[in-house]
Amino acid sequence: MLTRPATSPDTATAIALRGIVKEFPLRRGATVRALDGLDLEIAHGEFVALLGPSGCGKSTVLRLVAGLEQATEGTVSVEGAGPADLIRSHRLGVAFQEHALLPWATVRDNIALPFRVAGRPVDHERVAALISLVGLRGFETARPRQLSGGMRQRVAIARALALAPDVLLLDEPFGALDAVTRRRMNLELARIWAEQHITTLLVTHDVDEAVLLADRVVVMTGRPGRVRHVREIAIPRPRGTDVTRDPGFHAIVDELTALLDDPEEAP
Amino acid sequence: MTDRALAVAGVLVVAALAEVIGRLGLAGVAWPPLSEVISFLTEPQARQVLGRALAATGAAAAAGFALGSAVALVVAAVGVLLPALAPGLDRLAAVVHAVPLIAIGPLLITTVGREATPMLVAALAAGFAVFVAATSALAATNAAQRDVFAVLGAGRLVTLLRLQLPAGVPLIVDGLTLAAPAAVLGAVIGEWFGARRGIGVLLVSSMQNMQVEQLWAAALTAAAVSLLAYLLLVALRGAVNRRFS
Repeated sequence: MLTRPATSPDTATAIALRGIVKEFPLRRGATVRALDGLDLEIAHGEFVALLGPSGCGKSTVLRLVAGLEQATEGTVSVEGAGPADLIRSHRLGVAFQEHALLPWATVRDNIALPFRVAGRPVDHERVAALISLVGLRGFETARPRQLSGGMRQRVAIARALALAPDVLLLDEPFGALDAVTRRRMNLELARIWAEQHITTLLVTHDVDEAVLLADRVVVMTGRPGRVRHVREIAIPRPRGTDVTRDPGFHAIVDELTALLDDPEEAP
Repeated sequence: MTDRALAVAGVLVVAALAEVIGRLGLAGVAWPPLSEVISFLTEPQARQVLGRALAATGAAAAAGFALGSAVALVVAAVGVLLPALAPGLDRLAAVVHAVPLIAIGPLLITTVGREATPMLVAALAAGFAVFVAATSALAATNAAQRDVFAVLGAGRLVTLLRLQLPAGVPLIVDGLTLAAPAAVLGAVIGEWFGARRGIGVLLVSSMQNMQVEQLWAAALTAAAVSLLAYLLLVALRGAVNRRFS
């Protein structure tokens, strides 16, 4: 299987990666090919999880969409233009595994940062609403070092949502958390996302997380990475704790886990 | 606690050694016992002379410290905003620093005059430490934080002001901690070439007139000021580290 044909006309496509090749230089002019002919399309308001073994280049895909890397071959278009245009108009939100909060700033100031970077007046109501949305009311003036790992990631996600971005990019945002906190954060993200419906690309190696959150899970091959399998997740929303106990959920998780474990190359 | 006790013990040992060498005359007449230097410092006239010298040196060192630090920070910031200039600025700073202060002194006396020379030599001495600290501080920002700023669409100036500068404050303060004693030393060297007053002038005249106790008193005062400047900045560093990390 190659490109997944777009289910809707091109105008509905929010993110399109076509024929992406990404090579990184090594020493003495040698290169390593991280991505090889990757095609991926994400529709407006769609939540896509990119799943793959570590080192398959899934974070590179996200960094290409975020404009932090340039593709060696192929085109990346976001909202019909290059990532740089989206960044210039401050319509991109991002959260990484490392929360990357400013340690000297309070929760409130960290969430208000995108306004200040964009040179816009801080919308204090919006910041307050985001603080409640991520369940951190009462911690407005706390500094990141006074918060738990899960709380820091919630601040990072609130910051990513601050300017109501058109596209949200999440790179293993809960990767550094323990299993219990991670599951709780997954459920919270599902709730937050249900309220916003932003076009979202989540990169993860956690199959449960991908199935619980995404409309569509894209499984990548090992290096060099390309799309191996695409699985629609038809589980109705809102998805709460009951979903994780559903046998249908576990069937999908098992199916995708098998694909990750299988050393076979993409067909 | 034991660290502090060891430090105090070390100071006492050095002081006792200096006293013994002076009492026994092991290093000749130019090495007086420490107790005599200290009793010299209690004489009203000596205190007046030293006080005047200290005020002049302190003012020159403080002004030079402020000027040198400010220029160094601005130059480091220019290197960040215009990356093409950065390697050139680094080299310029290294070249300026490589010229011995003792060689620059007479040059400054003939160009900017005796009044401004101590302050400018202090600025040169302090500026380099701050420049080196600031360039590495501004470059040492965490990669994930930089990525967040890049994705949020932050330009170089916004990234400098909102990320690199605040993140760099602890390292910059480290540079200031080194720069403060350097400024005191620079001011004394600057005075050496013929300022009207100051510790440097006092050192020269005491030496030429064989006023051994005054020479030692001036040297101890210069060292004490230098140490005080350092301790003040160490205290500032503690406060800053708590705030910025």
